[in-house]
Amino acid sequence: MAHGLSQERIVLMIATGLFILFSVTLNGFLSADNLLSLVQNVSILGILGVGMAIAIIGRGIDLSILSTMPVSVAWLLNLINGGMPIWAALLCALALVVVIGAINGFLIAYVEIPAIFATLAMGIVVYGFGKAYLAPIDAVYITRTDAWFYSIGSGRVLGVPTPVIVFALVAAAAYLFLRYAKLGRFIYGMGDNPLTARITGIPVRPMMLVQYIIISVIALIAGIVMATALSGINTRLALSTMVYDVILVVVLGGIGLSGGKGGIRNVVVGTLLIGILLNGMTIMNLTYTVQSILKSTILLLAIVADTLLNPRDEQTAQHGDI
Amino acid sequence: MAASETWTRWRYRYVPDKLVGEILAKNWIDTLIPVVILSGVLTFFSVQMPGFLGGSNLTDIAQIYGEYLIIIVGITFVMMAGGIDLTVGSVFALCNLAALLLINSMEINLAIGIPAIMLLGGLVGLINGVLIGYLGMRAFLTTLVMLIIVRAIVDKGLLDYGQTISRGFNASSAWEFMAIGSVFGVPSSLVVAAAIVLVGHVVLTRMRFGWHVTAVGGSRRSAYNAGIRVKRTICLTYVLSGLLTGLAATFYAARLSSAGTDVGKGLEVTMLTAAVLGGISLGGGRGSIVKAMLGALIILLVQNSLIRMGLTSGTSSLVLGGLLLLAVAIDVRWVKNRHKVLARAYVSPTYFKLPPLPETAADSGSDYALNDKLRGVEAIGLGELDGPEDVIFDREDNLYCGSRHGDIIRFFAPDHTRWEVFAHIGGHPLGLAFDGEGNLHTCVGGMGLYKITPEREVIKLSDETNRSLLSVVDDSRLRLADDLDIAPDGRIFFSEATVRYEMYDWMVDALEGRGNGRIICYDPRSKSSRTVLPNLQLPNGICVEREGQSILFAETWGCRITRWFFDGPRKGETEIVVANLPGYPDNINRASDGTYWCALCGMRSPVFDLALRMPSFRKRMVQKVGRDDWLYPNMNTGCVIKFDAQGNILDVLWDLGGEAHPMITSIREHKGFLYLGGIYNNRVGKYRIPGADPNWTSFDDYWGPSA
Amino acid sequence: MTGKKLLKAIFAVAALASATSMAMSEPYDDGQSKTYYEALKGKKVAFVPLSMGFDLTEGWNAGLQNQAKALGYTVDIRDPNWNVEAGVQAANGFISDQPDVLILHPLDQQAYNRIVPKAMKAGINVVQINMKSVTNGDAFVGTDWYELGYKQAQEIVKACGKDSGKNGKIAIITGQAATPTIVIGNQAFDDVFAEHPEIQVVAKQSADFDPAKAQAITSTILKQNPDLCGILGVWDGQDGGTAAAIREAGMNDQIFMVSSGGGAQAAACDNIENGSFDAYVSYDVPGQARDLNAAVKILLQTEPEPGSAPFALYTPLKVITKDNMNASSCWTLEQLKASGG
Repeated sequence: MAHGLSQERIVLMIATGLFILFSVTLNGFLSADNLLSLVQNVSILGILGVGMAIAIIGRGIDLSILSTMPVSVAWLLNLINGGMPIWAALLCALALVVVIGAINGFLIAYVEIPAIFATLAMGIVVYGFGKAYLAPIDAVYITRTDAWFYSIGSGRVLGVPTPVIVFALVAAAAYLFLRYAKLGRFIYGMGDNPLTARITGIPVRPMMLVQYIIISVIALIAGIVMATALSGINTRLALSTMVYDVILVVVLGGIGLSGGKGGIRNVVVGTLLIGILLNGMTIMNLTYTVQSILKSTILLLAIVADTLLNPRDEQTAQHGDI
Repeated sequence: MAASETWTRWRYRYVPDKLVGEILAKNWIDTLIPVVILSGVLTFFSVQMPGFLGGSNLTDIAQIYGEYLIIIVGITFVMMAGGIDLTVGSVFALCNLAALLLINSMEINLAIGIPAIMLLGGLVGLINGVLIGYLGMRAFLTTLVMLIIVRAIVDKGLLDYGQTISRGFNASSAWEFMAIGSVFGVPSSLVVAAAIVLVGHVVLTRMRFGWHVTAVGGSRRSAYNAGIRVKRTICLTYVLSGLLTGLAATFYAARLSSAGTDVGKGLEVTMLTAAVLGGISLGGGRGSIVKAMLGALIILLVQNSLIRMGLTSGTSSLVLGGLLLLAVAIDVRWVKNRHKVLARAYVSPTYFKLPPLPETAADSGSDYALNDKLRGVEAIGLGELDGPEDVIFDREDNLYCGSRHGDIIRFFAPDHTRWEVFAHIGGHPLGLAFDGEGNLHTCVGGMGLYKITPEREVIKLSDETNRSLLSVVDDSRLRLADDLDIAPDGRIFFSEATVRYEMYDWMVDALEGRGNGRIICYDPRSKSSRTVLPNLQLPNGICVEREGQSILFAETWGCRITRWFFDGPRKGETEIVVANLPGYPDNINRASDGTYWCALCGMRSPVFDLALRMPSFRKRMVQKVGRDDWLYPNMNTGCVIKFDAQGNILDVLWDLGGEAHPMITSIREHKGFLYLGGIYNNRVGKYRIPGADPNWTSFDDYWGPSA
Repeated sequence: MTGKKLLKAIFAVAALASATSMAMSEPYDDGQSKTYYEALKGKKVAFVPLSMGFDLTEGWNAGLQNQAKALGYTVDIRDPNWNVEAGVQAANGFISDQPDVLILHPLDQQAYNRIVPKAMKAGINVVQINMKSVTNGDAFVGTDWYELGYKQAQEIVKACGKDSGKNGKIAIITGQAATPTIVIGNQAFDDVFAEHPEIQVVAKQSADFDPAKAQAITSTILKQNPDLCGILGVWDGQDGGTAAAIREAGMNDQIFMVSSGGGAQAAACDNIENGSFDAYVSYDVPGQARDLNAAVKILLQTEPEPGSAPFALYTPLKVITKDNMNASSCWTLEQLKASGG
């Protein structure tokens, strides 16, 4: 970095600063247990953040993951509760998210709908479809399951909660994918300049399809962790504002929305900052509403900072790029 | 052959193919899509649900429609400027809360309360506007985050004031009127909405701010370069959206008095869907209030009907999300492919048969036999000129010609080497003519008829004519005024080449073979223009005959020269003077011996003549082949002919190599020389006419010798 | 066909006909039952729930449909999916359809304030279920939220208060703060704890009815207060997350968890069974469904002038603990669909 203040560094500094501040001022913040639960509380957010990062690096965005996740998992649980073997149910859910991801990719790559609208609308469609046909009851509980499945979200390995481990695994896989796989490198090229990428001979359209399928699969993984941690899932999650939290994590970590920049490291940094913030605010006994005001204001400041540090070039900005 | 050709002729004469393209080219065609969807929705639900349009349901819908309309006017402005406002849902909730608190609980006077609530909405809009307009942040993300922040503030407000609100009740009659009142059966919110819609429409289409908004949305960079204050315009649209959302929320508060956490949730998606469904383009520049109204109506009817049909909530979401996808997909594809579709559908060839092509071979003995008389003519302004379509001289022998840069150039007598920009007009001057007072008149492509006084003052004489009753394209605007001449009484007759194509597309008109052009008369006494001869095949050169009762005009694609009497005993009659030219005639001007010169800007070819008799072939060509590969008339070579009033060809001047004057669009005789202009040429040619009167000038011939 | 066979066939048809005619014959009239059945037959009941797809509304609906089917009237549902605006449109649509009884499940206390009188003015009897608008309809069926909060608070006082020998430290994980159920319930909490100063509320946080948030908040609270005695939840849907956090921290034995809700098997008894909840105050959806049916039946038979004789059927609340839990403590939707109401 030529100039010392990239957004990632700012966030890292804020995170470190907050960490030190909370450690000194808040009783019980700096215990191993609290730190583990700090990460555990944001690990689902982090997993989803990894998926969102893949979208944003490729100059897209996926607002439908927060519908894909609960709908596919609710269906999965319904199938398991209905007596289907877990592996078969998992395959069904996998097929569902692959189809959702493929439709997303198709709409964006071939119909050329801007990603933000395609996925926004798909989120509503997926939720509606799920509620009408796959999971008519909002809250689905796990009533019958094998221990190993249950332990995906609520177990511990060597004292570390499994959600943290899943987050680490997903992040590592995504890191290797983006860094070393040909497809991963292409995603950077596509995000940096889609037209050039296309002219260079990168199969931009099929790649987008794959990209959104991967994101959907990551959403399924996050959902399974969530459901097994809470022994159930509620499809009304699709109507919540959690998807904005996911974007927050990614943007806060320093992945520019114009694509082509950043990596998994940024997601981890952003996730940790949010974790520290939430944990600290909860320890301070701030109410949920105040927490969300503070959190979203920080998100706003983060994108203001992003705009100031990486200003959009009026003369080269794409027309209609909103 | 003959029978099928007769059939083709009749079929193309009576089936108005061209209407399809002309209708598609209309701006309101975008509105047709939502209208079709709306009628589909209406039909579907009327069949599905008896009593769908029953009275009481209509009143309910009308109330909500009023609120929707108020919001969507603001959204339209934001989207027209190329932005998007997702905060409406949260701002709606915030203002609803404020309304309940201020008016319901604290019972503040409505005259103070409503503006205060609107200002609150406007404040959020202002924050949006500053961030997006002045800081240049992305509209979608910024308003998304603002949506969360405002929603969090609403939650906090509900926490703090929820109890106060649920106890309040304002019984004032004004509040009651906002809630359930109506004017002649129209709910109060719809009355207010109608007023706002009307004002919004006028502002957007007729006023400076609206034009700025459209310009910014259409092309932000160009708008900036044109001096529009882009940032302020964008900022104001968000403020407007906030203000109006506040007003709508007040009506909602009056109607429902509900402070639930779900108030306004998803409203932004509903409004977005409505706007896009109506045909307001994402990214700006295209749309109208009417479209927004249609979109909102469709969404409302669908929502209401889905609820009333008792479908599960999942199905409603499914339908709504699907509609949004469909609307955006149509919008995206339509905006992207509109020009392609239009280009293919617009060109509408018809049947036209020319007489057999006259011989032009050098030894054929034909009137048009090739020679090389124009070889080595003197060049004026070589390399300095760009597109002198016409050439003319004033009394002092100065030469005037137009240029593609939008200027009239004056070359000074006697040697015509020194030149200056005589006047800047802004469009490409084509035909030129002087009146008796020395005012230069010119037809400017794309602009109309202009007059330049000797003091160089540029005056617009006319840029419109009467609108024909049954024409789909707006033919009142002058698209391509071409050549002109002035009658002794001061009336100006000028030709408009085509009403269907813009100036840069004039060659495409040849593919149609239809009379798309006309001759228009400008009367200086009434200062207005009227079409006098419609449906001509690219009318081009015009020359008033010496008797002052008739004009000669050339129809370029018709390859003929016609006389039309505008005065005298034969007033109104037309007669063909030269019927079958070997090329495409352009300007006509008087010659010193009482005859006329005419330039042929291109030559006919058997292939194109044949193609003109096969409209479906040309249609296929336009649809299947790239534009650059279309078959066009030959414009690479041309000549000058001299003919008398009876139509006898007296002389023909060729430039065989086509080096100096490949395409001659005008000729002007002056003191024994013939001056040649060309619309794509870089010079004016000067040809000595053997045996011509060395003192004859066109100016004197028209207006008499100088005193 | 031989004559014998034909004869047999004729007999068979005759026997069948007589059997049918017996079934179709007048049922026994005890002097009131005939008018009872006639009063209900062919009537129209309309139901605007908050949203379908969660245990309470699905349970009520199962009961309503069962009785309607048995007695020959109809219950139509329009689902506003948690949206007040949609709810109002649905209710308005119903009013113009003129049902005999309109059942409303309001989201808040204000939204249906104009709808209830409008319906009654149109001659429709209005029943409100589980939540009340400020305006009264003809009947209210549902929970007294104050009593619910009171009972919950008492349970936790029992477990952590003076007589328990515990330290009295408790946390409250409440829900979306603006909903009246929460407001009224919190009022009850405060009143009970005012009488029991030994109870110390160390944390009070809203999890927004979201189990994931409840889990995150609870795990932090537990880290902060390792000596916590009890947690007061407000709704089983959200409290599942709280319980998961407790389980994760290995503090199931230490923390006394009080929850409440409609008493669905998966949300309530399963959690009591596995120790996630220690006490559960149930407003017993099958009971509410029966009350609802009773209110509907009363109104359909008496057809009172709307608003002339309002009545209320507050639900008797059940406190379920591991000790008193039995097979009938909770319900499943399948059971209700099969035999509810």
